Amino acid sequence: MIGSGFGKLSSAKLLTAAALIAISSGAVVGLSVGYVVHYSAPTTRTFYLFDGTLPFSERTFYNIPHDTFVPDTITVDKGDHVVIHYINIEDAAESHTFTMDLPYTFDAILYGNATQQGVVGTYPNVGNIVLSQGQNATITFTANWAGTFHYYCAIHQPTMTGYLVVIG
Amino acid sequence: MEVLNDLKLVRWSAVALLLVTGIIDLYYGNSFAGFYENLWYVMGGIYIFAALVIAANIEPHFSQLTVFAYTLFLWSVWATVAVGTGTGLDVVAYADKAIEAVLAVNMVLLFRSSRRV
Repeated sequence: MIGSGFGKLSSAKLLTAAALIAISSGAVVGLSVGYVVHYSAPTTRTFYLFDGTLPFSERTFYNIPHDTFVPDTITVDKGDHVVIHYINIEDAAESHTFTMDLPYTFDAILYGNATQQGVVGTYPNVGNIVLSQGQNATITFTANWAGTFHYYCAIHQPTMTGYLVVIG
Repeated sequence: MEVLNDLKLVRWSAVALLLVTGIIDLYYGNSFAGFYENLWYVMGGIYIFAALVIAANIEPHFSQLTVFAYTLFLWSVWATVAVGTGTGLDVVAYADKAIEAVLAVNMVLLFRSSRRV
């Protein structure tokens, strides 16, 4: 190939031709991708999460009630920064956890209730946090893995389970 | 002799830049969430393959020109996708594209030097 017409052209001409072809074809491909793929860039998504109670009074072993998460599904895009404000709204002295299994961990800031004002503790890179009655927590993580993952209260199983759906 | 030494220097710096860019692309595909990460694996793999081809000096004029064009092609794709969708605008991508720009200049020098020899 070098010995043919290709070899007779000067370096400058060859480089210029290659650059023009590469840049123009790259621009066509890039613009096509931008046109075809309706992609939303990662963003911060904020959710408010509460505990709820199923509408019957039956209790499980150890007298633990059938509680739930409200909402029980959180849907985000892969790469999104997720902020969950989790509030324990129990009217009786009852704790809840927010627990996630690997690969997900989160950072949490725990805020006090009526008797404990302000920040009670900060918990970087954990998989579990416990909220007493009236406490709330700000939970943050990045949705780096696509799929469906459950978040749950380790105390109130099996009913208090929610699903993190990461679309990617 | 000096020309040959210069040629070697430019060639091996091109190989180093290709390897670095390839590794960054693989890392980006592995760590960046959200946008066709498998493509980054392919791009990184091609860069590493190109590094081997340039290092082995196989069909140097053709391979050097091809790598030069490939680098500019990817740069152009990245720029237009970034403008169109807002993706790929982060520190790793900026570093990757900065190295690619240096690589393109390096490939120009290599191509010109190797044709002179």
